[in-house]
Amino acid sequence: MPACKSFLIFVLLFALALSIFPLEDCGADSGEAALAIKQAEDIMISCYPIVLKAESAGGNVSGLLARLNEAGVLLTQAHALYRLEDFDRAACFAELCSQIGGEVRVEAHELTRLAVKQATERLMWAMIRSILSITIIVSASFVSWRIFKLRYCQQISEMKPEVDSGES
Amino acid sequence: MNLKDYRTLFAVATLGLIFMVAFPTLSLIVAFPGGAERFSELWVLDPNRMVEGYPFNIHVGEEYRVFVGVGNHLGSSSYYMVCVKFRNQSQPFPDASNSMPSPLAPLFEFRFFIMDGESWEIPLVFMFVEVLGLEGSCLVRRIMINDLVFSVDSPSRWDSENNGFYYQLFFELWLYDLTSHSFRFHDRFVGIWLNVTGS
Repeated sequence: MPACKSFLIFVLLFALALSIFPLEDCGADSGEAALAIKQAEDIMISCYPIVLKAESAGGNVSGLLARLNEAGVLLTQAHALYRLEDFDRAACFAELCSQIGGEVRVEAHELTRLAVKQATERLMWAMIRSILSITIIVSASFVSWRIFKLRYCQQISEMKPEVDSGES
Repeated sequence: MNLKDYRTLFAVATLGLIFMVAFPTLSLIVAFPGGAERFSELWVLDPNRMVEGYPFNIHVGEEYRVFVGVGNHLGSSSYYMVCVKFRNQSQPFPDASNSMPSPLAPLFEFRFFIMDGESWEIPLVFMFVEVLGLEGSCLVRRIMINDLVFSVDSPSRWDSENNGFYYQLFFELWLYDLTSHSFRFHDRFVGIWLNVTGS
């Protein structure tokens, strides 16, 4: 499962980063940790409609979602640590989550803008192609109908019996 | 066929061609109803990613691993939350018929996004850290989930029908709802029964 693999890689990298650069003491109490978690949640939630907008405009959001899931892992940890009353680390994880979420939000806005622009261009070209094609089809159909009608009338007139003068 | 019939034939063929040519553009503007059913999946697998070797007989201090997964078939990317909950036999279970989650507080919450048609899976390692055996009852005091130890203090009475002390580790699927701006229980839950008798 690629999602599981990427998650495991992320957790390993994160653990490695923590061992090299340990989390700074955020010095947070219960209220501050709760606030940091709430802010992180709000940022995650605010990214969601932007990502959906980019996706519906045809943008490739897989990269953004992968980064949001990294932030989601941090938020999960923050919640669990808060429950265990480790407010310092909970606040640190939440702040890291907010940081990633904030970056993703900016990227998502940019992707949405690009995707909407590309979608508009795509739609415009598709409409031009369709209008041209329809014009060609209607013209070709009209011309072929005229030709067909002419030949049909000629055939009918050739099939008409000749009128004899009646003189012998 | 007379000339009028031929004219109708030409008109129908022309309209058919116009529709064929315009369909790709129309599909960019108008959303045609899709026949695909929209749903989410939630599963729990054993350590070998199968459905036959779930941890059941639990020993204190021993680690057990399961895989929890979610599949998104909702037509667009979705924001999910999986709540990991723990209960004894008398504590409430989610009520799927009324779309009600279990009122128990989650021990752990996974939050993640999944694209349409994609899935998400994560290993969950749990261990019973402290279990007290009392006369005719059992008390699970602490459980470790993914390296974090949680106090649960969950008592269980002897189940004379099944001869054991039984607990359940279960997972509820929640989905973020953009209209209510909150997570809503998504009517999906799975769980595994754990026998703590021999611990």
